[in-house]
Parts: sequence; structure tokens; C-alpha cells
Amino acid sequence: MVSATTKIVNPMGMHMRPAQLFVNTASKFQSDITILYQGNRINAKSIMHLMAACLKQGSELEIECQGPDEAEALAQTVALIESGLGE
Amino acid sequence: MRLQGIGASDGIGIGTAVRFLEENLDFSNIVSAGTEAEKLRLQTAIQNFRDVTTDMAEQVRNKLGDKDAEILTGQLMMLEDPYLSAELNQTIEKGQCAEAAVYEILTNYANLFSSMEDSLMQQRATDVIDLRTRLLKTLLGKQDLDYSQLPHNCVLLLHELTPSIAVGLPIERVAAIVTEVGGRTSHAAILARSLQLPAVLGVSGVLHQVKDQETLVVDGTEGIVILSPEETVLQSYQEKLLHYRQELELLSVYRNRKTQDADGNCVTLLCNIGSVQEAQIAQENGAEGIGLFRTEFLFMDRASAPTEEEQYEAYAAVSNIFQGKEVIVRTLDIGGDKGIPYFHMDAEENPFLGYRAIRYCLDHTDLYKTQLRALLRASSRHHNLKIMVPFVTSIEELRSAKQLLNECKKELSAQNIPYDAEIPLGIMVETPAAVQIADLLAQEADFFSIGTNDLTQYTLAVDRGNPKVSNLYTPLHPAVLRSICSVVEAAQNAHIPVGMCGEAAADPRLVPLLLFWGLEEFSVSISSLLQIRKEIGTWKISQAAALTKTVMAMGNTHDIVTYLDTQLSSR
Repeated sequence: MVSATTKIVNPMGMHMRPAQLFVNTASKFQSDITILYQGNRINAKSIMHLMAACLKQGSELEIECQGPDEAEALAQTVALIESGLGE
Repeated sequence: MRLQGIGASDGIGIGTAVRFLEENLDFSNIVSAGTEAEKLRLQTAIQNFRDVTTDMAEQVRNKLGDKDAEILTGQLMMLEDPYLSAELNQTIEKGQCAEAAVYEILTNYANLFSSMEDSLMQQRATDVIDLRTRLLKTLLGKQDLDYSQLPHNCVLLLHELTPSIAVGLPIERVAAIVTEVGGRTSHAAILARSLQLPAVLGVSGVLHQVKDQETLVVDGTEGIVILSPEETVLQSYQEKLLHYRQELELLSVYRNRKTQDADGNCVTLLCNIGSVQEAQIAQENGAEGIGLFRTEFLFMDRASAPTEEEQYEAYAAVSNIFQGKEVIVRTLDIGGDKGIPYFHMDAEENPFLGYRAIRYCLDHTDLYKTQLRALLRASSRHHNLKIMVPFVTSIEELRSAKQLLNECKKELSAQNIPYDAEIPLGIMVETPAAVQIADLLAQEADFFSIGTNDLTQYTLAVDRGNPKVSNLYTPLHPAVLRSICSVVEAAQNAHIPVGMCGEAAADPRLVPLLLFWGLEEFSVSISSLLQIRKEIGTWKISQAAALTKTVMAMGNTHDIVTYLDTQLSSR
């Protein structure tokens, strides 16, 4: 298992469009990808749960990946969040 | 019987009523046919929903743009959510039918989203409820409106016009639209105008008052719906419609012409718009640019202010439609009669003399800078955007706006984000104060645009919304005419461009005066565009000069109106 902390930078936060983009990226990997935020564990492949988590600009979170392609999964999801989720 | 609503899209439609009633989505009689059978029903319904919605999203994207399509692609994405499917299946395993599972689980999410403070999440709750309705319809075998069954020349009656309905409409068969909800600035109104369908919105209870097959007259200009009109009424509207169509036909030759007077001098004819869709129609109708993009429409009918990104997309889209031509964007003009709920503006004793437009924006610099940044970014590609500050009464306001613009430029440069460094910053001249100091303002503004609606109201101290005094409201009052003349002169002395974007620019009686004074840009609504181009073409400057001299020598409005009416009708 690998993990890293990161921070939401885009102004809209994890809303519909950024969340769509994030789920699309996360779903490309076989690994389980979990976001840890304020004591909750959120499945990164679930758009409903991502939106319900209300991740805003400035929210600090941890991404945890476990599975055959975990390293690559972590690298890409963190890079996506840090690049501003397409915003 | 006559029903009054809100005239949201101009024109007259006469046709037979077709009511689009909300379906009954009651599933209380349905019992589970067994876990596997219900799961299969759900699977099949989801598959159907997916096929239909993918198609629909594609059409919406082509017809209306990415923004509207996003609601649909979002719904598809939600259905693909593995957690959501697991929850639906678990509910079915508890012995519920597929309908009950869909209802329960999606209602839970809608409640969860709507309980959040965030206003954008409220919007998501609406999307989830729409998904629930559409999925239940699929499960219950209820069809969306079957467009192929619509008769020719029908008047469509709906509770609400949504993008998913608008996209499938066979426009050639629909004469007009009437809805129960929606206002002039609603999404539905903009959709109707972009489809160029006459529409009356906000007629509450219309679905219960009208019978199917009943003949209806819809006047989208006046906001009237007439049920089973008497023969004489019907005839007069048929004539009106015919006249309207003939007029359009005659004017269509002006669509691709230049705008020039009878001596061959060119002026620029621009359009006033409030949305990207309207920009597209303006372009198709021969506009030579945009003279007034009312950005407050981007802020209306939603739960929170549009983000920089959303604004950027709108400005960039209009800039792109009119590349090589100018697009004047007016910064947020709220307050007065244009309230926006989420700004929580207090009620005022005199809103028109109060906290509005640039006054509000200079106190809310975050809001203003978001808009300026979006505009700067959108200017980088075609270099055709101009920024216009509304409701200026002093030189300090112009300077403050300029300073904020400079701050935004610096921030963008520091982030290596491109923008048009030479983007012009001008003002809307619409207060008597601005008229009086037009010479000073012209030293620091890059252009002027005369806003005659407010200028007339403030110069004559007349509230045109008050029926007791609205007869006093006219731009043909000598005080207003002198103001316009002096503003044009001040701009010319300072060598800056000057245009007019108020309704007076579309008044044929004012055309000769404006031409003689040397107004360079006329900005009018899409529906007046060709009429004004034709009108401008009829005037020789020598004739316009003689007429203007006579008018300006007259001391009262009555004489001016009578004289101009006689002159114009005898031509």
C-alpha cells in the first residue's frame, strides 16, 4: 500500500466536473483508491461519495492506493488534484 | 379567455394546444417479482436510460453547448457509480421492487446533497431528483413526450421547459411555447429565444385551463395567451402574424449587407445580448459585433455566483463567435430592479439611487476581480473584447475600476496566464453626472456607450415603471437629446469611439439625429437589427442635418414628437 497527502487547489473544489474527471482517472486503475478526509474513508471511484464529501479549495486529504498498479495510481491521482482538476 | 404571463420570446404563434402533462410516477401497486427479476429490470432500465441519455447529451452539446450537456453526462456518471449500484441492489435484496430502490436511494442522496451549506450542492440535489424522475419513468414504461406525434402548428404547453425537452423539439412543427413556471431571465426564456420560438412563461395553472386541441393564440411580445379566440380576434392575429412574416422576409435582404447611410458612410451595427446562445443568433442575423453583453444574466437563476472558469467560458465563447469584430462586455450591473438573491442585498428606499452596479462592485472587489480576471483571460485569443463599466457618476469610479483591472493584469502576468494587455476600458454614459463631466471622463475612458434607458429616467426624474408618470418618459425630450449630442461631441473631441446601446438606438425617429451628430456605433436588440440597418440606409447626411436643426430648435417634447412622426411617415 502506498499513500500521500495533497491539497485541493482549484476554486470549485470537488464538484461535478472535477469529480467526473477524478473518477475517470481513478477508474483506470485496478487498485483500490481511497481518500481519507476528516476521519472519513471515501472510495475514489464513487462520484456520489466524492461529491458528498464536500472537498473544497484548501481541503487537505490523504490518498491511499492498494493493488497491482498502486504506485502509478497514486502518482496520477495526486498529480491530477495538484494540477487543479482541469479547472 | 385571455391569460397573462411573461412575454419571454417575441413573436406570434397560432396553433392547436398540446399539453405535456407530468406523468404519474406512483409505484405503490408494484410488488417485487423476486430479487433476480427486479435486478434484471433495473439493469435493463439503466441500459435504456444510458442509450437515450448518451444520444441526448450529444444533441444538447451540438445544439446548446457543453454546459447544458453536462447535466446529462453527470447523470450518466452517477449511474456508473459502483457504490450506487451496490446500494440499489442491496435494497432490492431486502425485498423491494426496482422502483422503490431507485426512489429510496436517490432520495437519500438528494437529501444529503441539499442539506449541505454549499449552494452548488443544492444544484446537484436537483440533478439527482431529475435522475430519479427519469429513471422511474423508464422503469414504469412511461415515455418522454413523443415528438413524432406532434401535429403541425402546435402550441406546446409545459410545466417547465428544460434543456432535455428543448433539444428534441421539432421546431418546424411548434408554433409557440407556454409554460407554468419561468421568468424572462430564466434558462427556459433564453432557450426559447435561441430557438426563436414565441414563448409566454409563468402562466400558472395553464395546463388545467386549456383543453387539448383547443385553438390558442400566443403573443410572446405582450405575454398573452388567448384560449379559443373569437373569429374576429383570430383574424386580426392571423393578419398580424402574416404581416410579421412579410416584414421579416422583406428585411432578410439586409442580413449580409454593410450598414451605411444613403451617402455611403459606414456605421457599425451591433447587438445587445445576455447569453452565448443569443450571441450566436445575433451573428446569424448579421450583427457586426456586440455592443452590450449584459453579464448579470450569467448570475441569475442560480444558487451562487458563476466561477471565474464559468465566466471565462462564456466570454471566450462570445469572443470566438465574433472574432475580428468587437464585443463590449458590461461588467455586473445589479441592484436597482435587478436583484440576485444570493447577494443578499438589503431592500432600499430608492433602489435606483442606491447600492447598484459599479458602486456595489467596488465594495465587493473579490466578486469584481473574478469577473475582470475572467474577461482578461478570455481576451487573450482574439483581442476583440472591451470592458464597459456601468453607472459611472465620477472620475474616481473609473479610476478605481482601472486600478482593479491593473491588479488583475499583474496577477495574471505573475502566473504566466496570457491576456490582451491593451484591452479597452470604457464607460456606459447613463447618469446626468457623467453627461456633465463627459469631457473629463473622455480623457481617461477608452470609449463611451450611451445607455439611454437609464439616462432618460435620471435626466427626466421619471420612473418608467410607474404608470402615473411613465407617459413623461421619452428620449425625445430636449434635455435628453441635448445630453446625447454633448456626449457624442465630448467623445469626438477626445478622439474616442462613441456608441449607443439603449433602446433609443433602435428608435427610427432618432436615427437621423444620431447619424448627423456622428454616432459611430448603434447597438440594438436582435429583433431590431435589420430594421435599423434599413432605416440608416435611407438617410442622406444633408437631409439628416436639416431635420436635426429643426428638432433642436424646438423647445418641447410634444412638438418634436409630432414633427418627427410626420417627417418619417411622409418619407
